[in-house]
Amino acid sequence: MGLKEIVSELLTGGLVTLEVATGAWAVSVTFGLLLAMLREVGVPGMRWPALVTTTALRSVPQLVVLYILYFGLGAVGINVPPLLAAIVGLGITDGAFSAEYYRASLLTVSASQRDAGYSVGLSRVATFRRVVMPQAVPYMVPPWLNSFVGLLKTATLASAVGVPEILYDGSNIIDQTGKIVYVMVIIILIYVVVTMPLARFVGILESRRRTTVGT
Amino acid sequence: MLEFLSWLAILWGGLIVTIQLTAATVVLTVLLSAAVAVGGVHPWKVVRIIARGYADLFRSIPLLALLTFVYFGLGSFTAHLGLPALWLAVFALTLSESAYLSENYRAGLEAIPRTQWEDARSLGLKWRQTVILIVLPQAIPPAIPTTLNATIGIIKDSSLASIIAVSEVTLIATQLVSATFLPLQVYLTLGLMYLALIVPLTILSARVERAFSGTSASRGAVPLEPAVPGGAH
Repeated sequence: MGLKEIVSELLTGGLVTLEVATGAWAVSVTFGLLLAMLREVGVPGMRWPALVTTTALRSVPQLVVLYILYFGLGAVGINVPPLLAAIVGLGITDGAFSAEYYRASLLTVSASQRDAGYSVGLSRVATFRRVVMPQAVPYMVPPWLNSFVGLLKTATLASAVGVPEILYDGSNIIDQTGKIVYVMVIIILIYVVVTMPLARFVGILESRRRTTVGT
Repeated sequence: MLEFLSWLAILWGGLIVTIQLTAATVVLTVLLSAAVAVGGVHPWKVVRIIARGYADLFRSIPLLALLTFVYFGLGSFTAHLGLPALWLAVFALTLSESAYLSENYRAGLEAIPRTQWEDARSLGLKWRQTVILIVLPQAIPPAIPTTLNATIGIIKDSSLASIIAVSEVTLIATQLVSATFLPLQVYLTLGLMYLALIVPLTILSARVERAFSGTSASRGAVPLEPAVPGGAH
């Protein structure tokens, strides 16, 4: 295998990585917002379940969550395809962390805004969707991007349940060719090229938000 | 029930290795992070570039990729020296976790008002004396909750060492699965063990954080960026 074949093979895996990260990101944002709302809006009877779920998902390593979803559920007859297990597992664990940031974003909208929504006759849901969310979203952009950058990296864990993402592909190529350093350096380079500028960009956004919106 | 207890006994051995792996990594990570953070505010530009470049580089490499690289790349070499794979995991974990923690430490150093550096200088202190006598004593206490959070992250991330055959608790659980064919039960037990290890630390970390934030100027401000144990993603 020449350099060209190796790189193109790794980029194929890279696309799967992108698929895992994007899917997990969608799960993470949805789940994280849901958790943040449950704690913020205060749905009766949901406070404790939300707290227990968050604590569990934050304390158990992502790899173990993936194993439970894939091997664990598989053994009791619930067959989850590897890609789905990876997307859900990485998504919910990431969402449990992001929920805290989303909650903080929701808290930036003052309570009087919500009261104003109610007083013009909007329902709780409508107030949340039309009044609170639009004002909170600018604060959520940096955590959204951070989530995605993080997930691009944690997507490598999907290899542990057999998803052919970039690291999985790389290990296969190493098995075939024995070119360890070569393959690993290419993988790391691909990651550096993609995530370093993204992380920089988020950093700039964050510091800008701090100066323009202020507190 | 008896079976469950025997699992706990088997997993216990792995948990000890997880704790050893974590302890060694935490000690080395704290030292390296402190060095990198101080390097990040060094008066020499070259030192600053190296320190910040290190943090930027290793934050963009996935931990699992780094572990695999270190294992494949150095594994035969360390096996030749008689070093167990545990040390390779410590090495990779330290490199990765320090990249994150050093950034937090550096933010702590930068939170010390500029005027203090200038005052120290005008009193005739050298840069190194300023760091040791003026800056570090103020920067260390607020760094304690951050370090606790990093420890939580390291415990969780140490589970990845199972991929490179370090017999920490996740690998022991996987071996137990091959013996019992009960993945759901075994992995849930494993999850509970991690919970038992991490939840007390999380509570402690939140307490310590509150104790320190009570004195800071940011009291009452909206927590735009609450410190949550993230670990190396």
